[in-house]
Amino acid sequence: MLSYHQKSFLIVDDFSDFRSSVRSMLRELGVKDVDTADTGEQALRMCSQKAYDFILQDFHLGDGKKNGQQVLEDLMIEKLISHESVFVMVTAETSQAMVLSALEHEPDAYLTKPFNRSGLAQRLERLEQRKNLLKPILQALDRGKPLEVLKACIELCKKDIRYSPLCLRYRADALRDLNQNEALERLYDSIIADRPLPWAFAGLGQLLFKRGQVSQAKGIYEKALKVFPMMPALYDGMADVLVVEGDTRGAQRVLEEAIRLSPLAVRRQALLGKLAMTNEDFDTASRAYRQAVSQGAQSRFKDAESNLGLAYALICKGSDKGLDTRTRLEINTTLSLVAKENPTDPGLQIRARLMKATSLLLNDAETAERLTEQAMMRLDDMEQFMSAEAALLVAKQLQMLGQASAGASMLKNCAEIYGDDPVVMKGIAKLTDDPTILNSSGAAAELNRQGVRVYKTGNLVEARAVFRKALALQPKNISIALNMAQSLLHGTDTSVPSAEIEECRVCLKMVGLMPDTDARYPRYQKLKIKAFGG
Amino acid sequence: MSQDYPALDFSTVIASTVHDMKNSLTTLTQAHSQWLSRLPDPAQHSPEQGVIEYEFAHLNGMLVQLLGLYKLGVNQLPLQPAYHELDDFLEAQLASHQEVFASRGILATYEVDPLCPLGFFDRELVASVLANIINNAIRHARGSLLISVSDEGGQLVLTINDDGDGYPAEMIESQADYVQGINYYSSSTGLGLYFAGRIAALHQRNGVCGRTRLSNGGPLGGGVFGLYLP
Repeated sequence: MLSYHQKSFLIVDDFSDFRSSVRSMLRELGVKDVDTADTGEQALRMCSQKAYDFILQDFHLGDGKKNGQQVLEDLMIEKLISHESVFVMVTAETSQAMVLSALEHEPDAYLTKPFNRSGLAQRLERLEQRKNLLKPILQALDRGKPLEVLKACIELCKKDIRYSPLCLRYRADALRDLNQNEALERLYDSIIADRPLPWAFAGLGQLLFKRGQVSQAKGIYEKALKVFPMMPALYDGMADVLVVEGDTRGAQRVLEEAIRLSPLAVRRQALLGKLAMTNEDFDTASRAYRQAVSQGAQSRFKDAESNLGLAYALICKGSDKGLDTRTRLEINTTLSLVAKENPTDPGLQIRARLMKATSLLLNDAETAERLTEQAMMRLDDMEQFMSAEAALLVAKQLQMLGQASAGASMLKNCAEIYGDDPVVMKGIAKLTDDPTILNSSGAAAELNRQGVRVYKTGNLVEARAVFRKALALQPKNISIALNMAQSLLHGTDTSVPSAEIEECRVCLKMVGLMPDTDARYPRYQKLKIKAFGG
Repeated sequence: MSQDYPALDFSTVIASTVHDMKNSLTTLTQAHSQWLSRLPDPAQHSPEQGVIEYEFAHLNGMLVQLLGLYKLGVNQLPLQPAYHELDDFLEAQLASHQEVFASRGILATYEVDPLCPLGFFDRELVASVLANIINNAIRHARGSLLISVSDEGGQLVLTINDDGDGYPAEMIESQADYVQGINYYSSSTGLGLYFAGRIAALHQRNGVCGRTRLSNGGPLGGGVFGLYLP
């Protein structure tokens, strides 16, 4: 008897002929529970209401629609399917754009059209067996317990050593999640010494990069790209390396190569747009951002930053005479989307208005002035911090729009929040010569460094006192406030009310205004859980 | 008016046409099998049915191969190697030809050396090679076909055996020419061998490249196609 008999199936395809053909194949195989969907959105809705055992997902669901890979990403990230479910990607042919984008979330199998009933039955039977074999690992994955994943891998290999290659990826991912970097590096090295697996190269490169071993990471990517010149993820890693090395032009070239191989990648397009802006290559930037916006429309990686980036790239491309009608229309469309889709985000509302005002500066000064006023009113009420990058552009545009004092106060604010970061201070220096702004952060940053030194010696009382002094100079500085909070939590019993806890909570409340894209946001969340409870 | 049209890249035109042909064939195959399932039983097993199934598979195999050759030509055939369970892999290849085997009365089996249950290769590419070779073997087999897997000095060897008359002697002698693409226009088999050789060679390990080998004999006494993957 077939083991997948009693299981539930979901067929996702935009062709009704195909859906009914597969449905009847499944019926003939004795499967009773079969549902169908014709779009990715519908599939996601159905998966949120019912746990399917098998999903047969067509890759191409039509232009402008979510594709199969995007559906899989959404299902995994939203945890709408169990690791025990079988996800089969059905394709007309295994086109590279599709396979290559799938390094992170791989389907359990690809099934190439056309297939017959025996072919389908064979695949389903085997996939079911494979899932059974790996069951303890998959259940540990569903529970989100990497340590249990490792244990289950060891158990499986003990039972049958021949299947150990099937566990490699699970082991590597678990070690990565556990931050066991040495063990992970050894595992990657041993895998690569035996067989060149693309994901092992990418993983090793990322690991070395994360630990700051940039030149070693570069060596790995160079080696890997010789063996797998078609693997976009390796180009992504190489671009990261080049950016850190300061070679933004090289990084742009490498990313362009990755995009040539695999154009369907929202985040990659957005990153290319950003790099091209750094390199003042506004043509490439506008093209990349345009792609990021249009592909992002159906993707979970949709990001208003790409719309703003597109608008800014188009403005920078314009001449002294202003922008042509078509460009103005495109800017208007892309910015209207930002304003419409983010009604409760004051930062985006302000930035979209200022961006539009900047685009109209030469052609429609009156509207530009009105938009600037609107933006400035919102700016006064805004509590949250913008990212340093956004804040600097806002300041620059305020200056261009004739609002010098608003621009200056924006810069002053930015110097307070991010003043310990020399890159941000350099950015500020490009926009102002005002010594009160440029020198505002030095003393606090020095105190902050001193506090860290004292904290490391274990003298908590002294460390807190130094951080407190620093924070008094720059109350909004994220780094100082986080250090203050951490030193207050250190050795303090959070279950009993105390002055330390109270002070710590005040600190964290202020830091909580930082954008969640900030690299320090995870650290903030950890401290918050400690101070406020889960 | 200027007549300067941009030059037509013929291979790209062919590739996108082949892509459409493949989609068209998929629809055709599906419609045919649905229609067939509504026919009374004897009509389902007519000799014409065997021809139709075989030619569907043959056409599909050729189209896949054409797309593969195009991608090889523009250097766009990415190798996606991974570990695969061999019995699963071989079952899948045989299952996709199941109707043809049934209609031609061919008994198709496979043997996997229990000591090497996993192989390391690009599933799709090797599957497209096997599809062509199996198709070819079906044409020549009298009643049986056997795929066996073994390990030869650390290399994975997939052999497709049939019980037909075997490959012609001159083909075996000049097999290196086919693989190098010297003589491949002469027949579809030759083109298939060229494709197989290229796919095999994409698989490398420590400087050793994969290869193919034609011979006669084997356990079934007919043609033997060997695919060596390091």
